[in-house]
Amino acid sequence: MKVTFSLNKRSVDCEVSPNKLLLDLLRNDLGVRSVKKGCEQGECGVCTVLLDGVPVNSCLVLAQRLEGRNVTTVEGLVEDGLMRKLQSAFMEDGAIQCGFCTPGMLLSAYALLRENLQPTEDQVKTAIEGNLCRCTGYVKIIEAILDASRRLQVE
Amino acid sequence: MRPLPNFTMYRPAAVTEALQMIKEFDEAKVIAGGTDLLLVLRDRTCKAKNLVDLSLIKELSHIRQNAGKICIGATTTLNMLQQSDLIRQKAPALAEAAGCVGSAQIRNLGTLGGNLCNASPAADTAPPLLALDAEVEIASHNQLRRMPLDELFAGPKLNSLKPFELLTEINFPVPPRGAGTSFQKLGRRKGYTLSLVNASAYLQLNRETCHIARLALGAVGSTPLRMVEAEKILRDKEVSAQLIKDAASVCTYLVSPVTDVRASAEYRREMSCVLMRRALTEAWERARRSL
Repeated sequence: MKVTFSLNKRSVDCEVSPNKLLLDLLRNDLGVRSVKKGCEQGECGVCTVLLDGVPVNSCLVLAQRLEGRNVTTVEGLVEDGLMRKLQSAFMEDGAIQCGFCTPGMLLSAYALLRENLQPTEDQVKTAIEGNLCRCTGYVKIIEAILDASRRLQVE
Repeated sequence: MRPLPNFTMYRPAAVTEALQMIKEFDEAKVIAGGTDLLLVLRDRTCKAKNLVDLSLIKELSHIRQNAGKICIGATTTLNMLQQSDLIRQKAPALAEAAGCVGSAQIRNLGTLGGNLCNASPAADTAPPLLALDAEVEIASHNQLRRMPLDELFAGPKLNSLKPFELLTEINFPVPPRGAGTSFQKLGRRKGYTLSLVNASAYLQLNRETCHIARLALGAVGSTPLRMVEAEKILRDKEVSAQLIKDAASVCTYLVSPVTDVRASAEYRREMSCVLMRRALTEAWERARRSL
């Protein structure tokens, strides 16, 4: 069946089978490779996307349910001020090791900071509880998110 | 990983339409958030030729106060529940429990009705709703019936709905002044974890005396459990730290936990008492503050 939705602010029409997942649609059909395929059961968070602005696991969303909705990945936020701050903080604070979890981490952190510009450390931890980093670089990631929040407040 | 099996998905816009579909279609399952269902479809422990998607039915997603009750639509997401001012104010234990389910990504998809119908003995939203004396509203093509929430739980991962029925709403009386609630959870870690044991307490005070106590524990039996015998110890007594300890200790004898990969039955039994004591202590504090 046909679905029409917005991907990174551009309208997309595609033909999807009923059992097609958003994750596979993005990676295999639409070439969005920042969204990774990990556990495929909503545990690891590497497939995180923003659906109507909130983070969800794209491995648990049937593509048919996208009709009329908005999907955002890091590709759609390259010009976004908040995302740029987060990206610089991640790079400068050593929050990226292998990089596999990074797009998902950035989207979860982005969703948090957009709601709450001054999160506590505990709030940061809760925001990324669904994003696993197999290099276990959590300390630097949490520092980078708090750092980005400080930099944004200075502005 | 194995792909999902083939199925056809229907997207009704109204409850009546959904009810017609689940009655008529062969091997039909309803899908709300999908965070549990897609996993069991993929590993073939659940079969469905037809899925009836509830996500477009607006009337199923709401949180409102009406005639002395708080009513929550079945497809209200766990995140909406956690963030709701009404729930945080009137029944903080429920907001806190909703905030403990899965991760942020899961809470944005997963629904309250799904958490209950999935009927996991460890479902985090079940103990606070049992303690709040919740009832569920169940619709079918020819009737609407209500029953106490505990009757929805038939066994581990087993609910009591008939194949053509749909859970539409969860409601409970608005806790009055002098009432306090608490939710406590113990997992292997703090974030994104299944409960080894979870506990909830509702305490309604009349000055210093306990007027009503309702207690519930999860992951310590085949379904979430009300602790009726422990409630009797509190009723009409002056609440004290000692009374709370006595009531919580009784829970040790009321639970029937199993040993699994996460914890032993003995550990769960011991922790039932510890978590219930914490829940009662916090519910007591909150009840006194609201007097």
